[in-house]
Amino acid sequence: MSLKTSTSADGQTVTIEVKGKFDFNFVQDFRSAYSAIEGSIDTIIVDLRETEYMDSSALGMLLNMQKTLAGRVNNIKISNCKPQIKKILQISRFDKKFDID
Amino acid sequence: MKPTFKVLIVDDLELNRHLLQHMLKHDGFDVVLANNGLEALDVYKKEKPDLVLLDVVMPHLDGYETAPMLKELAGEVYLPIIFITALEDQDSLTRCLDVGGDDFLSKPFERVILHAKIKAHARIRDLSQKAFEQKKELDFYRLKTEREHQIVEHIFQRAFEGNYKVPHLLDFHLSPASMFNGDIMLVELGPTGNLYIMMGDFTGHGLAAAVGTLPVSSSFYSMVQKGLSVGDIAIQINDILLKLLPDDMFCAASIIELNNMGKSLSVWTGGTPDMYLIDNQNDQFKTIESQHMALGILESDEFDAASMNYSVSKQEQLIVFTDGLVEIMDENGEMFGYERLTELVKQPHYQEIPNIIDELNYFSGGVEQDDDISILSLRCDEVNSNLDQNQYSYSKLAHSFSLTVDAEAIRSSDPVLEVIDMVTLIKGAKEHRSTLYLLLSEAYNNALEHGLLELSSSIKDSDDGFLDYYMQRDSLLNELTSGHIIIDVNYVPEQTSLYFTVTDSGKGFNVDAKKSELDNEDAHGRGFVLLQEIASSVEYNDIGNQVKVGYQLNEA
Repeated sequence: MSLKTSTSADGQTVTIEVKGKFDFNFVQDFRSAYSAIEGSIDTIIVDLRETEYMDSSALGMLLNMQKTLAGRVNNIKISNCKPQIKKILQISRFDKKFDID
Repeated sequence: MKPTFKVLIVDDLELNRHLLQHMLKHDGFDVVLANNGLEALDVYKKEKPDLVLLDVVMPHLDGYETAPMLKELAGEVYLPIIFITALEDQDSLTRCLDVGGDDFLSKPFERVILHAKIKAHARIRDLSQKAFEQKKELDFYRLKTEREHQIVEHIFQRAFEGNYKVPHLLDFHLSPASMFNGDIMLVELGPTGNLYIMMGDFTGHGLAAAVGTLPVSSSFYSMVQKGLSVGDIAIQINDILLKLLPDDMFCAASIIELNNMGKSLSVWTGGTPDMYLIDNQNDQFKTIESQHMALGILESDEFDAASMNYSVSKQEQLIVFTDGLVEIMDENGEMFGYERLTELVKQPHYQEIPNIIDELNYFSGGVEQDDDISILSLRCDEVNSNLDQNQYSYSKLAHSFSLTVDAEAIRSSDPVLEVIDMVTLIKGAKEHRSTLYLLLSEAYNNALEHGLLELSSSIKDSDDGFLDYYMQRDSLLNELTSGHIIIDVNYVPEQTSLYFTVTDSGKGFNVDAKKSELDNEDAHGRGFVLLQEIASSVEYNDIGNQVKVGYQLNEA
């Protein structure tokens, strides 16, 4: 279980990777991952390739991020979801608010 | 002269045998005797003499008949046959030579001449013997090497066994300079259907370079199966190569991931030639330069896993190659070079791999290649390969178990994941583990947060409420000393359904009121809504301290 943040060379893309279980244990870490961003940037990628489990608290965290960064980021992408995780996001209508690929 | 040099005397006249034996023994040779050709063959087989003195006219196989048989028995090592003859006519002498005779000894015998002849032939036999031994040794090594190559080739074939599941996207050409390829191209699909490709070029070529490709391929496949990012794959392979390879050997590599929708491309490159990202429709040509050092050079703490990301569309095409391609030479020793290649691939005709290869062959005019050559072209379109649509089978046994988690256990453990780990042991449940986790997690956390800790979701409404909520949860949890939660798990094979019943020792809540107050857009109502949507059934008891959530495994 871990959370890793990286920034692209041009500083325009921040990638947050969540490994294992994406739940309320990350509330603080996740918040600091995006609150460290200064000014505006192009894209935030939440990379869930190694996320096995998530629950509604993770959905809450994602929504909070979107609210906090409104107007400062062009695009929030949720990437590389496993099929079941993708289904949870779709059921929650997250595909309307986030770019899920 | 070896003291054991052994001469076979074949003569039907006892006088001759006796005379020759006497002379030879005097000169220190071993002597064996035969009365005629037939006997000579027997003696030869038993005694393995080094030279034969053979009479021509004898009963039971004469000299002419015996000579070729002896030569045949001797095999590949030179067996000198000296005919003993009083014959003077040319025809007889010629015939002696025709049947395999090597020399003549005329009667009456002269010791000095006999000795000289034997010594001369002994030297030739000695050389022949050495040559034969060396040939045997060479044959042995050749066979051994061949066998070893076969084994290695077999292993290599297995290691790289075709995972080319996406022929509609990928076109490639691999051309090793020798039997073993120091270039490597690996293709595999990740768990979410993303396409991963690695193209690598080890220092040098041939077997020495190819050895490194084995551990790389096996770890590449296992990491792709875990769905790691290209940067993380690079870290792992770098570690492996750092441990395995000598300092002067490394692997220039590109690791590429195309997402399942064909819309985004991640690339990690180290020490490789430029790649080209070509968009014909919009006439765009992008050069992707190598960002890092090759794999197997930098220590883990210096290693940079940063990758580049590109949004791509289906008219785009990525061309990746190893340096062997641009270093192809023509007959004057001039290299093909990057300039020629970029000019080439800007023309749509030459974006087809076979056409590029034709052009290269035309350029080199048949000059032999010094290095392995690999090139691939990837069309950035939907990967869309049929991810395993296995028909899962489901357990036919009814399962049921129950856990009571007391305050102490609630504080110190995460029962949800442990229960899910147990549940996924039921046949057919494993494929649903993320969903089952979500269901149980929602039910359990509701029981804990609202039932036992009596937290109110309305806390989440304030600014920073979300964080507050979980901080309060944390402190209340630390103070929790009484209460418990019961988790019942039932699997009903007739319905292929799993049921989680979560009961808490709290006061419960008004179920109807709760339902009506929920608003789909609210962050905190989301868990409740998710439960309703994903579960096949959600039932609360009257006092609201128990929820039963059902989920059908063979649905969807």
